[in-house]
This record gives sequence, C-alpha cells and structure tokens, in this order.
Amino acid sequence: MAELVIEQLHKRFGPVKAIDDVNIHVADGEFVTLLGPSGCGKSTTLGAIAGLDQPTSGRIRVGGKTYFDGDKAIFLPPEARNCGLVFQSYALWPHMTVYDNVVFPLKLRKVSTADCKRRVEESLALVEMERFQDRYPHQLSGGQQQRVALARTLVYQPEILLLDEPLSNLDAKLRDRARTWLAELRTRLGLTTIYVTHDQVEALALSDRIVVMNGGRISQIGTPQEIYTRPADSFVADFIGTTNFLNGDVVGAPDADGQTLVSLADGQRVLIKSDRRPSLGDKVTFAYRPEQMRIAAANDQAVGGSIVDADVVSHSYVGGRWQIGLNVGGNQIRIETQDATTDRRLRLWLPLTGGIMFTERTHGKSH
Amino acid sequence: MLPRASADVLPKPLPGRDTAIQYGVALLTVILIAAPLLPVLYQSVLDRALYDSGQQLTLGNFGRLLRTDGFGLVIWNTLVFATLTTIISQTLGTLAAVLFGRTNMPFARLFGELFLWPIYLSALVLSFGWYTIYGPAGYLTLLVQSIFDGAPWNLYTLPGMAMIAGVSQAPVAYIYCMSSASITDPTLEEAARVAGAGTLRTLFRITLPLLLPAIAYSAVLNFTVGLELLAIPLVFGDPAGITVLTTFLYNNGVASARPDHGLVATAAVFMLAAVCVLVWLQGRLLGNTRRFVTLGGKATRPRPFRLNSLRWPLCICSAVYITATVVLPIGALLLRAFTSLLSPMVPISEVLTLGNFASMFEYPVYLRSIWNSFIVSTLGGAVATALVALIAIIVLRSDFRWRSPLHYIALFPRAVPGVVAGIGFFYAFALVPGLGGLRNTIWILVAAFTMHFIPVGLGAVAPMLLQMSPDFDRAARTQGADWWTTSWRIVLPLLRPALVACFIILFITFFKEYTTAIFLFAPGSEVIGTTLLQAWTQGEVGLVSALATIQVLVIGVCVTAARALLGVKLYG
Repeated sequence: MAELVIEQLHKRFGPVKAIDDVNIHVADGEFVTLLGPSGCGKSTTLGAIAGLDQPTSGRIRVGGKTYFDGDKAIFLPPEARNCGLVFQSYALWPHMTVYDNVVFPLKLRKVSTADCKRRVEESLALVEMERFQDRYPHQLSGGQQQRVALARTLVYQPEILLLDEPLSNLDAKLRDRARTWLAELRTRLGLTTIYVTHDQVEALALSDRIVVMNGGRISQIGTPQEIYTRPADSFVADFIGTTNFLNGDVVGAPDADGQTLVSLADGQRVLIKSDRRPSLGDKVTFAYRPEQMRIAAANDQAVGGSIVDADVVSHSYVGGRWQIGLNVGGNQIRIETQDATTDRRLRLWLPLTGGIMFTERTHGKSH
Repeated sequence: MLPRASADVLPKPLPGRDTAIQYGVALLTVILIAAPLLPVLYQSVLDRALYDSGQQLTLGNFGRLLRTDGFGLVIWNTLVFATLTTIISQTLGTLAAVLFGRTNMPFARLFGELFLWPIYLSALVLSFGWYTIYGPAGYLTLLVQSIFDGAPWNLYTLPGMAMIAGVSQAPVAYIYCMSSASITDPTLEEAARVAGAGTLRTLFRITLPLLLPAIAYSAVLNFTVGLELLAIPLVFGDPAGITVLTTFLYNNGVASARPDHGLVATAAVFMLAAVCVLVWLQGRLLGNTRRFVTLGGKATRPRPFRLNSLRWPLCICSAVYITATVVLPIGALLLRAFTSLLSPMVPISEVLTLGNFASMFEYPVYLRSIWNSFIVSTLGGAVATALVALIAIIVLRSDFRWRSPLHYIALFPRAVPGVVAGIGFFYAFALVPGLGGLRNTIWILVAAFTMHFIPVGLGAVAPMLLQMSPDFDRAARTQGADWWTTSWRIVLPLLRPALVACFIILFITFFKEYTTAIFLFAPGSEVIGTTLLQAWTQGEVGLVSALATIQVLVIGVCVTAARALLGVKLYG
C-alpha cells in the first residue's frame, strides 16, 4: 500500500497525444477512478502505471519507489513494480487450474509450499471461489473468472491495485452484484486502487475521487458529488449523468447576486444564478439534471426559477415513471415525471440555482 | 485486509538473463542463415570454383548467364508454373478449410484427413503416383484411351505440372487456415449473421478476411515452393523440354560432369533476388498484423456453418476430388510396389509380387537412406522446433532491441530456394576449416534443413502467437515474472498445440526433403529422397514404388503415434 504520484505524464504515438500532461496524486488507501470515453487515455495511463506502456515523458512514483522518470531515464519493467493489475479480459491462463493461476505469483516470490496453499485458499475465500480450485478457467462463468482474476492479484499483496474495466464483460445483473461486492471488498481491503471505466455509475458508486479524462487530458478531478453537481465543463456534465443543455444569449448581465438573464433562440427568457459571470451579449450554455426540472401547472408562478413553454416530442414509460422528450427553444431535453401526459405543449419550471452555466458555446451532444 | 506474516520478496531479477537468451538466439539464427548465402554470393562474382586457387573477382558470370540460350524462356516457365501452383493450392486449401473445418457437411473430418495426405509425401513421390495413374502409360490414361480417342489430359505441360504441384501444396494452405479458423472467435461470425448477412456473405466478409494472415503466410510459402520445386519439372518437364530455374540449376550443377560453379551461383543469386522482392511485397500486403487479433482472454468455442440443402452435393464433389487427386495416385503407387506391372489390360492377380521389396533389401543403400531419413527428421525436427519457438517469442513477444531485424532475417530463408541452400551449405562446409569432418555426415543435412525450414516453422507458430491475447503475458509480467519466466511458464505452454503442429510439419518436411540434400549427401549420408531420384533416373520404377511405399508407411506410423502420444488433434 502506498500513495501514487503521477506528474506531467505525456505519451505520444507519432503526432497523436494519447496522454497529454496528466497530473494525479492518489493518497494511500484511496480509490480513484479514471473515467472517460474510449480513446480518452485512461487505459494508456493505467498501462503506464503498470509498466506495460512506456510514457514519453513525466514521472510516476509509488510510495518511495520511482516507477518512471523521463528526465532521469528510469523505467522499471513491469515485473519490478509489484503492481496488481486485473485485466478487462481477466487473462486467466487457460492451461492452468484456478489454484495454479492464483499460486503463480507466490511461486515467483519463493513462498513456501505450505504458505502458498494457505494463502491461495484465503485469497480464494475472499472472493468466495475456494470451491473451484481445481477447475480450469473455461469451466467458469464470466463473473467467476473475474473473481479468480482478482484473487490472483490480491494474493501477493501488491503495492497498488489497478483494475481495467473489470466489470465490462459481465451482464447487467451480474455487474450490479459485482459492483456491490467490489464496493464491500474495497472497504475491507483499503488498498490504493486505480479503477478504469467508461461507466459513470460504477465510477460514482465506488470511488473516493473521480478523474474525468477526455482526449488524453484531465477534464476534472473531484469527489463523485463534486463531479456530479459542479462539473467543470459541458463535457463532464454530459458524461456524468443525464444532462440537458440549453443554448442562449446573455441579455441581462449578472447582478451582484450572480443572477443572469438569458434569452433562448425563440426569445423565451430564463433566469439563472451562477458563480460564473458572463458579459452582456455572451453566448452561453447552461445545464440541468432531469431531476432538477418539473412540469409546471397552468396557474403556477415562476417562484424560485423560470417557467418556459415546451413542445412534447416523445414520451415513454421506463418503469415506475415516464420519460418525456421536449423541445425548448430549439434545444432537445429530457425530463422524468410520475404521470403520463397527453399534452402537446406544456410549461416547464427551471430552478434559479443548481443549474450550471458554461461560457463556451457547445451543445451537449455535439462532441 | 489479508493477514500477512511477512512482506513478500519480489523475485530477484537475474540481470541480463533475458538479454543473454535473446542475443544468443539471434546470433545463432544469423550464423545459420548467413552460412549458405555468403558463399553463394561470393561464388557468383568469382571467375572459377571458390575452392580452387588463384580465383579473381569478376562480374562476367552475369553476362554469361543472360547470354545462355533459352534463359528467358526458363524464367517465363518458372513464373507461370509457380503462379499457377499458388493459385491452385490456395484456392483448394482455403475451400477445404472452410468446407471440412467449419461446416456440417457429412464426412467432413474424413475428407479433411485425406486432403492432408499429399503433404505427408514429397512432390517426388506424388509425381510418381500421378505418373502411374495419369501418365502416358498410366492406368486411368489407358482406360480412358480405350473408351475415347486419346486422353483429355497431358501432364507434360505447365498446367499439368502445376495441377500436381497445387494439389501437393494445398494442404499447407489448409493447415494454416485451420489452425487460424479453429481459434477464431465464433461471435465475430455470429455478429455478422445477426446483422443480416447470409452464409455466403459471412464467409466472404468475415471468415475469409480473418483467415487472411494464414492465407497470406501460406501463399508466400507455396509460391516459393513453386519456384524451387525440382521433382515435378524434373519428372514431367525435362522429357517434354520444359525447363524451369531449378532444373536449369540441377542440369548445370549436379547432373553435369563438369559443374559450372560461376553460372550456377549466379543463377542462384538471380533466383534469390527475385524471391526477395516477392517476399517483401507480401509483407507490405499483409500490413498491420494487430488487425487480425481474434483470441481474447475469454474462452470460446467455434460453431459450424449450416449448409442445409447443399450438404450432400458438396459432399459428393469433395468425394470425387479426394478420389481423383489423393486416393487414386497414392493407391496406384502402393499397388505398383506390389506388382511387376500395372495396366488395365493385365489382370492384377497375374502380376502381384514382393520382388520389388526383395531387391530393395538386397542393397544397403536403401536401408541406410531410410534410417538416415528417420534420424534427420526426428532430431532435426526437434532442434528446429525449439529454435523456431525461441525466435517466435523473441520476435513477437519481447522488447528485444533487434526483434524486427531478427524477424526479417528469420523469414529470409523463404527467399532461399532449396537448391540454393544446398549449394550454399556445400560451399560453406568446403570453405570453413574444421567443419570438414561433418561434411559427409547427416549433421550437414540437419543444419541445412533447419535453416531452410525456419520460416515454415514460424508460419505454423506465428498465427497462433499473434492471435493469443498479449494480456496473458502482461498478467504474468505485472505479477513479477521476467520475460523468460513468462515465456517458459505461460507463453510456450499456451503455444503447445502450435509447437506440436510445427514439429510434425517439420518432421514430415525433413523426411521427404530431397532438393537441398541432393547437393549435400555423400555415400553414407543418403536420405530417401536422394535415393528415390537416383532410382528413378535409372528407370527402376518398381524399386521407386517400393521405397515410396516405405516413406508413406513410416510417415503414416509416425504421425499416428505422435497424435496418440501427445493426445492433441493436429490440423484442427
């Protein structure tokens, strides 16, 4: 167990920057998730920590040990790092039984036979797979293979645990169970863990902190709550949770209280309170979570927010509630309600606070 | 937290072990491959034999070669023959792999087994078989002639020769496609089916493209085989006046009373250069091999295509093909070994005899060549497989600094025809002092065969290695295993099916090899191939058939035994 420090990490493949100036400080025992779409550099970063990819420049240090230092030309081979890496494909060796798979790292470390047996059993017990020692990997289900892969990694007590999309090959139901189980295990083990995923639900549920990556760069680092409620830019807002974006022009510059009046394309006006202070005439994008908006009754007043007219584009039942697609001044948004609606047109209440304003002009779905 | 008594110690790195192994194997490979080539190049620019005294550097040999009568026609014949051979063998081999390996056709497995038979035998033996059944006095030729007016085929033409060569090389394409097809993720095909693609479309858009590395690898090998094939042009081409490069080299080198070494070496260099260009082109075509990774860490199992109403028609077509190209030629050859004559005009019961075998056992040279062939194939095959395995993991699964040059060098013998390798080793052993003692032993054959067939072995091992997920070795590396431990404990055991296949292929290849050996054998170190050719030149058809029968039997027994012992299913 140790802290992990990544400083100014770069990785170039020819002209392509796979990792572009990544800085992450992970505390001892912390669980940090690298989150982003495929190709964002999260897996390359993980590979650089494990020693499977050699970065172009920067530094990686775990505890007192320097794994990589571009300036001093230090690059520890993977076998000298004592990392634990669980692969997306599990990478259980098909020619070995479960026992032989798990005992392999112990044999490398010259652990005595008696200790080996005990520790393999403990490790398999930890993942509730002790009954399957003599099976071969192809005789196990995906979920079982994943547990064995984890046991094989935990058995030698690595400095840090690296998990590369370990749940992505499981079906949805199994994934839910495995996630809960992984969350319990993580609390029990207290290992410094780097978790790579493109699934925001996993990231939100498991992490102490989340690193959102996009195009090789870090978009935001923060706790799950920070990332969800105060996304740094529209990419993060869109990637984490379902987010609705509205585009507009500032027609009333922010007052002392931070309240800004924005006009949508069709002239409807929305009042929003934000830390960011755009100038008059700026083009802005602002975002709401579905649960922040509600349908207003015909006689409702715009208390604590604004009310705008919206066209109903679609509505569908999603189990226990309805999802309604709306067109508000040319922006496509989605909300959820308890009741079905037959109206073609309705009034939408938007809160004064809680929405997020971005001064760059992007539409949420356009990257 | 897991309880721990004391902190584990990471395995002590053995400084330099990985590097030492990698450099050692690289050096050995370079020496083995350079050994025959440098002397040939040297000889091509000398004005007299390189073991004579007083030789001078000259470029005169090249001019002399080009002025040789009919050399242009020789080149044209060679290209036509090799191209036709490759087209026929790749088409037949790929078709057979899909039909016998991936469909629910009746008797698919039986046909698959029979389809492989030609590769168990040398092209030399197969030529004799075709001669016996389809030759001018062949059994079937005479039968057809008695019904129609003249036979509709003539083996003494380029297409006729290419047909025999294509059939004898089709199993190479078949084997490579099968070892690739059997580990292809079936969900890739199922995904296409689900997307609305029919059987044919799936076949052409998914299955065959995924087989591309196997097809390309085996196509290179087959084209080279077509260029360097000596037996078929010698048996059918020479009598009809069709000369190709190999028979040109053979006639001017071995068969000539006063071999013109300058001319022979220069023609060999010319052949080398041509194949080099082709091999380079092929490498460019294959491109990025990562595109063909199909074996993930998850265990999967292939499912066969359904043929529905085409099952029986395709089955009958396959049966006709197998009978005409495999069963009849080999059957006739075996039958000829037990008769004094084979003709539809004479009842077989009247000519049955064991006389051929009796006269074979009277001469020690026949027994000696059988024994020598066996030793060369077993020991040589094992040594070569070990070397190929090491080269493969260094080139494809290590960060050895010179792995790309090593890959290129290891594949280079593809561009070295057997005739050239034979001449080259002959020169090398004549030049290097201290190696003279090995010159008349079978070890010179082991060295030459190993060098010549490294690419064949790599072709059997590389596709599986490429398709094996790198996560398997990465997992071991992150857990603390260095490169050699990872290779020894994980990669090589996982490669075992490919390595067994590699050994069997090399065993058979060595057992039936004759081209390289012709330049290197001496009294005492004969192998079956060289003795066969000598007996054929002497017109001993009965003896040839008997010796060929022995080759068929020995190979058949060895293959069956190896499969029973190792408990693996060869060739898919």
